[in-house]
Amino acid sequence: MTVTQLERRVFAIAILFVLLLFGFAALAVNQFHVGLPTCLTSVKPFQKGELITHAPNHYEVHYVARMWRFEPEEVTVPAGSIVDVYVSTPDVTHGLILLGTNLNLMAVPGVVNYARIKFDQPHVYQVLCHEYCGLGHDRMAATLRVVDAATYHSPKPSPPPLATIDAGYRLLEEKECLSCHSLHADADLAPSFKGIYGKTQTLGDGSVIAIDDAYLRESIVHPSAKLVKGYDDVMPVPTATDEEVEQMIQYLKTTK
Amino acid sequence: MTLSNEHAMEIEPGLRRMLLIEIVFPMILLILGIYHGLLQVLYRAGIIHSSQFLGLEYFQGLTLHGVVNAIVFTTFFAVAFGYAVVRHYLARPLNMTVAWLSFALMMIGTLLSAAAILSGKATVLYTFYPPLRAHPAFYFGLVLVVVGSWLAFFNWLPPYFAWKREHPGEKIPLAVVGIFAAFIVWLIATAPVAVEILFLLIPWSMGWVGTVNVPLARMLFWFFGHPLVYFWLLPTYVMYYTMLPKLCGGKLFSDFAGRLTFLWLVLYSAPVGIHHQFTEPGITDTWKFVHAFFTMLVAVPSFLTAFTMAASMEQGARQSGGRGLLGWWKKLPYLDKDRWLFSYLFAGLFIFIFGGVTGIINASYNMNNVVHNTAWLPAHFHQTVAGPVFLSYIGMSLFLAASLTGKQIKFPAWNVWVPYIWTLGIMIFSTGLFIGGAAGEPRRTNLGVSYSDPHSSLYHPEWHFGDIMGCVGGIIMTIAGLMFFVVFFATLCGQTARKGALDLIVSEPYHDERVPAVQSFTPWLAAAALLLVIAYAPPLTETIRSQFPGARGYSPHSPLPVNVEPNH
Repeated sequence: MTVTQLERRVFAIAILFVLLLFGFAALAVNQFHVGLPTCLTSVKPFQKGELITHAPNHYEVHYVARMWRFEPEEVTVPAGSIVDVYVSTPDVTHGLILLGTNLNLMAVPGVVNYARIKFDQPHVYQVLCHEYCGLGHDRMAATLRVVDAATYHSPKPSPPPLATIDAGYRLLEEKECLSCHSLHADADLAPSFKGIYGKTQTLGDGSVIAIDDAYLRESIVHPSAKLVKGYDDVMPVPTATDEEVEQMIQYLKTTK
Repeated sequence: MTLSNEHAMEIEPGLRRMLLIEIVFPMILLILGIYHGLLQVLYRAGIIHSSQFLGLEYFQGLTLHGVVNAIVFTTFFAVAFGYAVVRHYLARPLNMTVAWLSFALMMIGTLLSAAAILSGKATVLYTFYPPLRAHPAFYFGLVLVVVGSWLAFFNWLPPYFAWKREHPGEKIPLAVVGIFAAFIVWLIATAPVAVEILFLLIPWSMGWVGTVNVPLARMLFWFFGHPLVYFWLLPTYVMYYTMLPKLCGGKLFSDFAGRLTFLWLVLYSAPVGIHHQFTEPGITDTWKFVHAFFTMLVAVPSFLTAFTMAASMEQGARQSGGRGLLGWWKKLPYLDKDRWLFSYLFAGLFIFIFGGVTGIINASYNMNNVVHNTAWLPAHFHQTVAGPVFLSYIGMSLFLAASLTGKQIKFPAWNVWVPYIWTLGIMIFSTGLFIGGAAGEPRRTNLGVSYSDPHSSLYHPEWHFGDIMGCVGGIIMTIAGLMFFVVFFATLCGQTARKGALDLIVSEPYHDERVPAVQSFTPWLAAAALLLVIAYAPPLTETIRSQFPGARGYSPHSPLPVNVEPNH
């Protein structure tokens, strides 16, 4: 016996249908250049997040996705520009989605990802990590601002430096303290460093203490000794010499 | 017509006992799995604003939800159902030493992994995510579960070959073809993940090597990750093809369609895994395109199945007096308490329409940019694995448990409604997640502490509606799940009504063509091997040759690498 004609038809229609759908995807690649990331061996994984200007309407952003923030946290480009987005991770796997666009990239350890995007209109975009990367994943976000070209190119006062680049600051960055402790507003992963020296802190047991050298030293060397109210005992002990600890404390005195 | 006893077969007490434990044990774990599913929607809707609840962290719960529901429950059920089919259709006793050994390995493995997850040392989700590092017990446990399931399959080979010798020229029973296809797909799938676990993850988790090659580990994982879903689906398809027609009072429209579907999945379920990696670096887009093409072809048997099931149901309904172009739909046993298994299979088939369509969207190469890692994805796969697969698995678990113990189904009215309430829940849940996902809402994220928290600077009010829908749907699914557990455990605790036996529902074919191309596994296995080489040899070679620098291990709790002890 043979297969019924009805079934043959169904089978043929199913194959033609999926080939048609695949044809649409292929057409989008061929005609509209909507592609997928490919294997990039020429760019080595990088540790420094930055915005590079190639031309007034051509930029390159190097995003470093790390536990649990993007560097740079804020990028501004003029409308009408083409932006080459590279993303690299020094620690675990992350994701990068630019909400409201089709820019959707994975950041995989050991290899750099890349996509190009063109921004036509001014808009404030949010960049989110959309791949599980540990405890702080749920808050890992950054901002990409597309501003009017005229505004972008008009001279503007340079923003005040966030922090004096001194030895203490470099150490806080190197030891990954700044991954959780912010120098700006309150971050909920760990207590903020903003204006920390001399202020009072409520501890988990309800007691209130003044933040001085001794407290800061103890909190760096024995993070579990005194826990700030509302925070868990999750901070790893950084490897630092006494001198380095001292430099960090000196810097923390200046974070107004 | 009643469901039971028509094909009941007395079996060895040892096998009966093992099947019962294999069905009941994962059902108990499933309570934990469903509880963590409920917590997920509560967190994501912003009802829980915390990184943990009742002692378990969000991602710990998500790991449990994935491992229990998608790996442990499915594998235990597939093994138990496979034993039932093989014993029933091939009518030969099985080697019980191997059977118990296989069961023991799976059980110990499950307990090891569960201990690692519950103690907070394996919060890496079921997809592993190196370089996040889990305790070795987690990886060893999963290896044991897989090896145990392999042993079960090997145990079915001697009766299979003996049957073939004694029935020269006869067609292999359709259900056996389906179950063997499922376990061939499982063997193909688990080989690469075994390489990943044994050669990459365990040596690194034990501290024998300092780093892990993440791009390679990810490619090996997804080499496993997609055929895995066909391993889940094939036992469901066996129930659709061999039981659903009979439950409707009719015959299977085409025996050939069943065989072609099963063998087609052997061929195309594996060379498609890179469609999970479309947005990843380190893989040339050409290979992504090749995998996208094969992924489209793996959708073909779903269309064939949709047609064959509709034709079979129509044939059955017309036997029961159904008339007219669409009038026959009224004659299906939607709420028939005697043929209650119909509701489980039919509801799953309905949900699968949506799961299938959205699957094609995800697979469409560049279209994936819109949805990758958004809430759209869990919406899609809950309409497959938590739709047809879950409903057929729990329905068949109840059917087998009741017939093996000779118990009468308790609360039959609840029982027949469980699948429909579940369907209502999952349609609401998935629609909510589709809406959120299309707007970029991330998956695998505790929205409750950020994007769903009005006090957070990251609050996304436009995602809230979808999250609330997801939550309402999730609560309805939980209610259906609870109703099922009541029926299941009350039935098991009830009075014995008759002698326990192995019973399966067996449909006759309406068209019983004998097409030579689908009578033997051999040509399909050869073709599958060839496709695997075409699809995976180039990208694997590329990944290995690129010598990407390795990554150190990380705990999810710290941005600093885990201290790797120097070699002792």
